[in-house]
Amino acid sequence: MSPVEEKVKEIVIKIVRKPELDFTPTTTFKDMNADSLDIVQILVALEDAFDIEIIDEEMKEIANMGEFVAYIERKVAARKAA
Amino acid sequence: MSLTGKVALVTGGSRGIGRAISLKLAAGGADVIINYFRRRETAESTAREVEKLGVSAHIIKANVGEPEKIGLMFDEIKAKCGRLDIFINNAASGVARPALELDDKSWDWTMDINARAFLLCVQRAACLMTNGGKIVAISSLGSRLTLPAYTSVGVSKAALEALVRYLAVELAPRGICVNGLAAGGVESESLKLYTRGQEAAAAGAWQTTPAGRMVQGKDVANLVAFLCSDDSEMIRGQIIVIDGGVSLAPIGTAKPS
Repeated sequence: MSPVEEKVKEIVIKIVRKPELDFTPTTTFKDMNADSLDIVQILVALEDAFDIEIIDEEMKEIANMGEFVAYIERKVAARKAA
Repeated sequence: MSLTGKVALVTGGSRGIGRAISLKLAAGGADVIINYFRRRETAESTAREVEKLGVSAHIIKANVGEPEKIGLMFDEIKAKCGRLDIFINNAASGVARPALELDDKSWDWTMDINARAFLLCVQRAACLMTNGGKIVAISSLGSRLTLPAYTSVGVSKAALEALVRYLAVELAPRGICVNGLAAGGVESESLKLYTRGQEAAAAGAWQTTPAGRMVQGKDVANLVAFLCSDDSEMIRGQIIVIDGGVSLAPIGTAKPS
């Protein structure tokens, strides 16, 4: 598991309050009963953690945690390249 | 109204009502610090509009629901400007749910951003208002009237309004005026959040004001500018209702010409 994935997992589990959550690439926000506030808090925490900006419109294309982690990794790479 | 040379902070100042306030204060001559939550592009766009009015603009990202972020924001203001003359507490959030469906997380999120942040920001802002200042808190009619699924926001706004009164008295000896305004339904994206599925009823209720139209961001901004001017010096700790008169007329009785 990459450092980015570790951090995403840590933040997601903390915010949805599910320490027992099975965080896999196919896990969805729906699987963890995340509501709109959970998702906003997750995005804010990740933006702070990685100094990135997550675009809400782009989030609509994210189907599961695998895609979410990949998206965050792309954002982190783009920031480092800038 | 001249605000020339004043330094103003508008939380949530990049869009909606906050944007209208930022632009109005800039038009009056104030340099504007625009606090924003997440969308840098939107904040930069508003900053460019502010600068077109011949004053300076500075954007600061901060979730005012987090005390440490408030601290960092004011550290930056102190370093950049050295002082503050105007503070507009506009940033707000909320969870649209009936009271019986509110959980502790939704409650805390709303109260932290809408009420606690005002207190924490004023504590820092007052230290930078060395030559007196003006503070305006943006509230809503939901503090005293009920709206569907508006519980958490309405209660937080009631706390905000109470804080306005206490702070107005406590800060008066320092030459700082503290007031608030309670807006009726303002045409905005936020309003849609609370009227989803009942747009027709909501539109009817809010549009049928005695004044004949809904409140707009510029109406709120005009009132804010007045409360930031010397002309309002003897208004202290008040929550001024700006709703086109809708709260005075039960639904269906207002007959705009």
